[in-house]
Amino acid sequence: MKIGRREFLSFVIGGAAGTALSPLPWKLMDDSSIWTQMWPWTPVPENGEASYVNSVCTLCPGRCGITVRKIDDRAVKIEGMKKYPVNDGGLCLLGLSGLQLLYGPTRIKGPLKRSGKRGQGDWERISWKEAISEIVEKLGELREKGRPQSVGAISGSDRGTVPRLLERLLTAYGSPNFFRMASVRDSYELTLDIMQGVQALPGFDFENADFILSFGSDILEGWGSPVQMMRVNSAWKSAGVKVIQIEPRLSNTAAKSDKWIPINPGTEAALAMGLAHVIIKELLYDNGFISADTSRFDDWKQLVIDEYSPDSVAAVTGIDAGTIVVLARRFANASKPMAICGRGDGTHPVSLTECMAVHALNALTGNINKKGGIFAVSDPDYIHWPEIEMDSTAAVGMQHDRLDGAGSRKYPHSRYLLNRLPESILSKALYPLEALFIADANPLYTLTDTQDTGKAFEKIPLVVSFSSFMDETARHADLILPNHVYLERYEDVPMPFGMLQQAVGLARPVVEPQLDTRHVGDVIIETAKGLGGSVATSFPWKTYYLCLKETLGEKWQAMVVNGFWSGSKSIDQALKTSFDTASGKFEFVDPNTGLKPQFKPVQIKGDERQFPLLLMPYDSIRLAHGYIGDPPFMVKTVEDIVLKHNDVFVEVNPKTARAAGLNDGQRALLGTPLGTAKVRVRLFEGIMPGIVALPRGLGHTAYDDYLAGKGINVNTLIGPVEDPDSGMNAAWGIRAKLSKI
Amino acid sequence: MDSALIPKGVKRCPLWQFLLFIGAVGIVLLWGVYAMLLCWFKGLNQTNMNDYYGFALWIWADLAVIAVGGGAFFTGLLRYIFGKDELKNIINYAVLIGFICYSSALLILAIDIGQPLRGWFIFWHANVHSMLTEVAFCLSCYFGVLTIEYLPLVLENRQIDKVPFFHHLGHNMHEIMAVFAATGAFLSFFHQGSLGGVAGVLFGRPFAYREGVFIWPWTFFLFTWSAAACGPCFTILVTKITEKVTRKKLVKDNAIELLAKISGWMILTYIIAKTVDTWYWATVTAPSKGFTLMEFYSNNALYGIWILVAEILICGYIPAFILITKKGRKNPLGVWIAIILAVIGVCLNRWVMVLQVMAVPVMTFDHWALYYPSWQEVATTILPVAYGVILIAISYRYLPVFPNEAEMNPIEPLPEEAAAIEPSMAPEQELTPAEA
Amino acid sequence: MKNNLNHRFGMVIDLDKCTGCGSCMVACMAENNVPFRKDESDKLLSITWMRVFRLNNGKPFPETDICYLPRPCMQCAGLHEGHSPCVSVCPATATDYGMETGIVSQIYTRCFGCRYCMASCPYHSRYFNWWDPIWPDGMEKYLSPNVSPRMRGVVEKCSFCYHRYQLAKDKAFMDGGRELKENEYQTACTQACPANAITFGDLNNPDHAVHRMVKPDLEHGGRPQNPHAFRLLERLGTNPKVYYLSSRKWIRHAGDNYLKNEAKMKKPVHHG
Ligand SMILES: Nc1nc2c(c(=O)[nH]1)N[C@H]1C(S)=C(S)[C@@H](COP(=O)(O)OP(=O)(O)OC[C@H]3O[C@@H](n4cnc5c(=O)[nH]c(N)nc54)[C@H](O)[C@@H]3O)O[C@H]1N2
Ligand SMILES: Nc1nc2c(c(=O)[nH]1)N[C@H]1C(S)=C(S)[C@@H](COP(=O)(O)OP(=O)(O)OC[C@H]3O[C@@H](n4cnc5c(=O)[nH]c(N)nc54)[C@H](O)[C@@H]3O)O[C@H]1N2
Ligand code: SF4
Ligand code: SF4
Ligand code: SF4
Ligand code: SF4
Ligand code: SF4
Ligand SMILES: [Mo]
Repeated sequence: MKIGRREFLSFVIGGAAGTALSPLPWKLMDDSSIWTQMWPWTPVPENGEASYVNSVCTLCPGRCGITVRKIDDRAVKIEGMKKYPVNDGGLCLLGLSGLQLLYGPTRIKGPLKRSGKRGQGDWERISWKEAISEIVEKLGELREKGRPQSVGAISGSDRGTVPRLLERLLTAYGSPNFFRMASVRDSYELTLDIMQGVQALPGFDFENADFILSFGSDILEGWGSPVQMMRVNSAWKSAGVKVIQIEPRLSNTAAKSDKWIPINPGTEAALAMGLAHVIIKELLYDNGFISADTSRFDDWKQLVIDEYSPDSVAAVTGIDAGTIVVLARRFANASKPMAICGRGDGTHPVSLTECMAVHALNALTGNINKKGGIFAVSDPDYIHWPEIEMDSTAAVGMQHDRLDGAGSRKYPHSRYLLNRLPESILSKALYPLEALFIADANPLYTLTDTQDTGKAFEKIPLVVSFSSFMDETARHADLILPNHVYLERYEDVPMPFGMLQQAVGLARPVVEPQLDTRHVGDVIIETAKGLGGSVATSFPWKTYYLCLKETLGEKWQAMVVNGFWSGSKSIDQALKTSFDTASGKFEFVDPNTGLKPQFKPVQIKGDERQFPLLLMPYDSIRLAHGYIGDPPFMVKTVEDIVLKHNDVFVEVNPKTARAAGLNDGQRALLGTPLGTAKVRVRLFEGIMPGIVALPRGLGHTAYDDYLAGKGINVNTLIGPVEDPDSGMNAAWGIRAKLSKI
Repeated sequence: MDSALIPKGVKRCPLWQFLLFIGAVGIVLLWGVYAMLLCWFKGLNQTNMNDYYGFALWIWADLAVIAVGGGAFFTGLLRYIFGKDELKNIINYAVLIGFICYSSALLILAIDIGQPLRGWFIFWHANVHSMLTEVAFCLSCYFGVLTIEYLPLVLENRQIDKVPFFHHLGHNMHEIMAVFAATGAFLSFFHQGSLGGVAGVLFGRPFAYREGVFIWPWTFFLFTWSAAACGPCFTILVTKITEKVTRKKLVKDNAIELLAKISGWMILTYIIAKTVDTWYWATVTAPSKGFTLMEFYSNNALYGIWILVAEILICGYIPAFILITKKGRKNPLGVWIAIILAVIGVCLNRWVMVLQVMAVPVMTFDHWALYYPSWQEVATTILPVAYGVILIAISYRYLPVFPNEAEMNPIEPLPEEAAAIEPSMAPEQELTPAEA
Repeated sequence: MKNNLNHRFGMVIDLDKCTGCGSCMVACMAENNVPFRKDESDKLLSITWMRVFRLNNGKPFPETDICYLPRPCMQCAGLHEGHSPCVSVCPATATDYGMETGIVSQIYTRCFGCRYCMASCPYHSRYFNWWDPIWPDGMEKYLSPNVSPRMRGVVEKCSFCYHRYQLAKDKAFMDGGRELKENEYQTACTQACPANAITFGDLNNPDHAVHRMVKPDLEHGGRPQNPHAFRLLERLGTNPKVYYLSSRKWIRHAGDNYLKNEAKMKKPVHHG
């Protein structure tokens, strides 16, 4: 065979063209590309009918209105509800992540009974009938033995029908031991009680205030209702309202404020007193208000003048005297100045005298119960249930002192002192706690001194959790009766702490319950009915739904239509009832106890020589640190200077780090009197020398792999310090040391 | 029995030794193949690449092999278009090395892209404004050209050549080789250039960005120039290594010297152009974007100014001066140093233009991230080296890669073999691809 | 550059108001089916179409200042409309410039993962899918059908919630083909931002808030005429459609690179 050039070329070209024209290569290429676009393991969300359901987010005390977008029966996106009084369309990142909780892997699929050792994680699935009869049996037994007081309940909140039903169950049963999770709200309640003689919450007219003096309140990290506060802050920016932030660390709030004044930690009350000193000395206070509406001003004035000169306050706070004087003048000369307190996001109370000292500043400027000031507001009064019928067992049980000492002679004004419960159980000073119910709270994670809390829980024979999620407390419970998550249930949701508006939102099912869960309200009602007698008759409702509808009465319809019911802005009403003291005036000094606004240093734990540094927890809006832990989306937003793989960074001033021989990123041991933890060092110029800071919200041992095992729980390193005036936990930190590994 | 495949008149090592060698390199190859399969089936998470190093070791290796593979087109250009006949002795090897480099480049690309099965989208949905499109088209076409250039050598294998069809096919291909060489040179000019354009057009990255003419930034020309300059050094380097390994002289000194001399002048002119380019960029381009030269070479653990000094002074001017002087070229150690430095220089340039481009922070609040390759990346980068070694070994053993080998390394033919030489074959044997 | 787009959708982010809360990041993830993994602490691997950067003025205690800067895709126009850094380089036309909207699209099913676009983008707005996206059992339920989940091996980025534009346009079309109103097309991050720090709208439309806020000079690449407004890396000629507002000089200064003699202010540093 002889092949010439011509044959050769035709062979090559013909061959190429022939292959190219055959469908085979094209078909194969096309198929392969289609296949890569449709890998069966890459989900393709189904399309369907779009709809929206309004509800309320209860993942934190912020209580925002939400609008949930649905496709057929699936919830696909949570958005902020427009015109909702709290958030008007905005939403925080936790609220936005809600569907990861609804459909997430940490949910408890049905009632569980512990089968192994406590905390081991071995469970047996039981039916709801078995679960409820199990509780009824135990409660019946205790009651028969005449020890109803040994049953307790911890609730995330005490407002709205669900917490009230739980409290009602305890009362009808015969126990005074209903506990609410603490927060700065407790400090404010006590302050208003003592200084204004009212059982009320503070309402802040932030909209009309023109000068904000924040004693460590992280307005942008979750203090108050987080979304509302951010909106308020933006309004301040637009209106040119000045915000002065006083705290030892450059928080986001401090960075956004007009002036950040670093202060020695725990000395905020001293500064408040120092400012009062200047205001009084320079006669900058509202003389009309002071003379007409206040009482015992002179008693307090003497203390202020004698002990809180700018120089002495400067020595305590580390803020120079000149700054104190200027700040006092600016505050007093503003037309609507407002001073607020509650460190960080306000999850923890402050000492009573501190809250009083800050509140006294508002009284000095007369900015109470008027536009741009602070109001005492009462809960909307919509829950009118029949009197609880108490049989003799219940009546005797209710005679007992509370285990936490709240309302006792020592702490007459305090309503709940959950922080004292672990010690009370461990010291066996009163009587044992034999059964504990926990709803919307995760005390084994959130109470400071986690070890002590754990030990106390070990002493309780029956721990029942209503948690929807496998959190730390649920993990250590004996029985879990999982509640629907908020997107599956009805609930009335009062407006959050700090707002002026009288309003109640309606949380309602966005989707059908996804798992074998039950509304905690129904479980309470069923349990009461199971117990029979007067307990049962105290619960005349068939179901929680009917109870709620009946409770809300004519408001129900409005709430279904609008998503919430709102009353008037009760400013006028508040004025009339706000000073209900014996004198009918604002009291600078408690006439019964002589307690007055002042600086009483909180003696935090640890020996200064052994622990030369101070450890402070800090709050970040990107880290939920209460009952709900960070869903995966939120964890994703946590910066790599806070968490890297499983290591948490402790913030240290470069000066402090240098002294300890530590560099940026280096591993170190952080020790406190309560324990030690491995951390990494992050040099941060925004923190005072001598202080180290750790974020709250990490170090979960429960929840899912997206959260568990990351970082450390700062509550394991910090213990509570009792405020001698209120019994509340007033710890703002603990002594610490940082050493090389 | 493989002696029947070995070209006439040359001596090869025993088969067992050859197989042992292939086996050893084959293990490395299999390691690379394993890593490659991991990357294909599990995805690029097998690498240590990340969003700040989306172009990493592989793309560097890709650009580097293409640069050093430039010896093929440039030698072809000199041989066929400029008629440098001395180069006929090295052209086969240059083509083979080029073929290995370009096939490796394509293989690396097929591993590097996130969706290998969609790789052809670059042709199907081509964006003519993209330098990468130009690269893809020219690269693929040039690979085809190299295949066509390499094929006749394969057909010259003693046994294949016996088949009349292949014999004639090979003959015909030889006849049109000049056309392919010209095409190859043209294509190379563009894809080498567009590889330079890949970095040069990134106007969001002041470290890479260069002005230029029309759509071509200066890097376009610098890349072509540097490949033409340093590619031949790589060809010489591989030839010299082959000579060391085989302990034979395979290419006549005059060919090497000529290539070295041309390369030397090319390097010199290139490095002057590169110096001017760097100067202009440092004094005009970068400052217009708010940068000083040193900002690109500080604040991190790796990319200090040393890298610029190494690239331009040590690996640019030094080899250039060695190779352009007769004394330098005649000094064997000098040539070794020069070709090694030149190859390092061009590879360093490609590294800088790929990895450093992505690493240099542009936003003021951004930071330098550093990266180290995972073993899968290293293995898949070594894979083409192993493949190249094997292909060279096989080609050398069975194909008449070096036309002068028999002449320069005469062996005592066994009597019966000498008798078996067919007289009619003799003229054909002289027909090297270069002459066809 | 001439202004020849029908719409020029753009964003104005007020850094005085932005609190760094990260809601925009999560709103975006939830809206756009962005995947997540068990460890997201390596930010060089973490997909965040919206990323909130943290800027620092580099001064010692107590003069330290920090600022957060949310960074979506800038939807760069380039020196002439459509010559975005990324669009011009994509070899497979998998990312394109919308001549109707000015929005830079990303076609996941066409992208073959060469990552050239990532190299081109100085803002790090583009993210590669190094892994298969995997949702824990049952969590696929929340995935939105309006945005397809991306497969491994392709690049993704902020789309200015383009599907919302399409849905809004469909609705307007059904209503008789009327013009879109400003509030009808808003991005998920804008909508969620608790601080109202993000404003979104049509920069070409003088009635829209974004236009009034920055006063873009549309005949000159949309440079902001409000002295408090700036764009990131203005000098590179990427011509972004995302503007920032800040009353603090060091922050405005941090938006671009300057030579020492151009300004006295110290460059901010990342983190720390
Ligand atoms: N994403 C996001 N999530 C948020 C917010 C946010 O801003 N963003 N908002 C945050 C807000 S406003 C708040 S206030 C938080 C609070 O809400 P969370 O912290 O999420 O919820 P709780 O657990 O109810 O908070 C009270 C906690 O304080 C601790 N504690 C209280 N009293 C004591 C005590 O006496 N002793 C000890 N040892 N511990 C005590 C307990 O650990 C208790 O769990 O929710 C936060 N949730
Ligand atoms: N479940 C749960 N509860 C918690 C916490 C928790 O984690 N979980 N944490 C605690 C924390 S950290 C916080 S900050 C608090 C905040 O939350 P809370 O203090 O428990 O509750 P708020 O809803 O803020 O209380 C404000 C009340 O004032 C009412 N109100 C509003 N406007 C007016 C008005 O004009 N007049 C009158 N009279 N009343 C008005 C509102 O309707 C509302 O009932 O919650 C604490 N309680
Ligand atoms: S602030 Fe609280 S209530 Fe509001 S969306 Fe966030 S988690 Fe929900
Ligand atoms: S949601 Fe708003 S305030 Fe929060 S980080 Fe984003 S832009 Fe800033
Ligand atoms: S920001 Fe980056 S991804 Fe977005 S358009 Fe500009 S170059 Fe492209
Ligand atoms: S990674 Fe995809 S979008 Fe980016 S340049 Fe390559 S093909 Fe285009
Ligand atoms: S515009 Fe849409 S896609 Fe872009 S960052 Fe905002 S939410 Fe994400
Ligand atoms: Mo709070």
